[in-house]
Amino acid sequence: MPGGDFHPWLFVIVAAWVLVCALGVVASKKVMYSAVSMVLCFLGVAFAYALLHAELIAIMQILVYVGAISIVILFAIMLTEVQDGEYRQFFNRQAIAAAVLAALAAAAISVTIVAADIGPIGEKTLNPGVRELSSLLFDRYVLPFELVSLVLLAAMIGAIVLARKEEERR
Amino acid sequence: MNPLEWWLVLAVLLFCIGAYGVLARRNVIVVVMSLEIMLSAVNIALVAIASFRTGVPGGGTVFALFIMALAAAEVTVGMAIVIANYRHRRTVQTDQYDELKG
Repeated sequence: MPGGDFHPWLFVIVAAWVLVCALGVVASKKVMYSAVSMVLCFLGVAFAYALLHAELIAIMQILVYVGAISIVILFAIMLTEVQDGEYRQFFNRQAIAAAVLAALAAAAISVTIVAADIGPIGEKTLNPGVRELSSLLFDRYVLPFELVSLVLLAAMIGAIVLARKEEERR
Repeated sequence: MNPLEWWLVLAVLLFCIGAYGVLARRNVIVVVMSLEIMLSAVNIALVAIASFRTGVPGGGTVFALFIMALAAAEVTVGMAIVIANYRHRRTVQTDQYDELKG
């Protein structure tokens, strides 16, 4: 059977987890609840990668998303959260149109995926292990790898410059 | 439906939930979180295709790693902009950002 090591029940659990948490991010009234939902959602995505036998990606997901990105967002929430009183509206005026649009897009793309002939899939999931992946990263994809480090450096400098106190700016 | 299609449908649903959050929420931090969910959905699709189809070995996995790094850069700059903007306007509501100048 193609995709022989596909576990339907584990897939259903992970999918339900991820989707429910994503809905929690979108629908929560409090920003902090959204953030907690987001952390749980990213954790679920890490399990999804593990189910796909992409172990390195799963570990990276936990390190980068659950670790770093969540902390940055939590700090931003703590540095900014004051809204109360008059800001009781959580959705903007286009919320209904956005819901219809998102639902239509989801239905259309899902139907297309199911209807399209995706072609033969492998007997079992095959992802490169850590050894193969690192040799790929430092051999075939070494230029994008170095460019990403430049992008991260630029983002770091940019964040420091942007978030600096106003008085220090000339 | 084969397993790859199930994974891709999951990615599509996750992407559309994120898109709804980006379009409909007023709090800019929640908008950024929804954006991260959209990026995760794309990553799931990439890893799923990479694990079920034999193309360039490891291509999709490496691509997913790069997307993660760029998402980290994006959220860093995004949160810095949110904090800088908050200093100016004391708000994180998107419809209060009605002038794009200092």
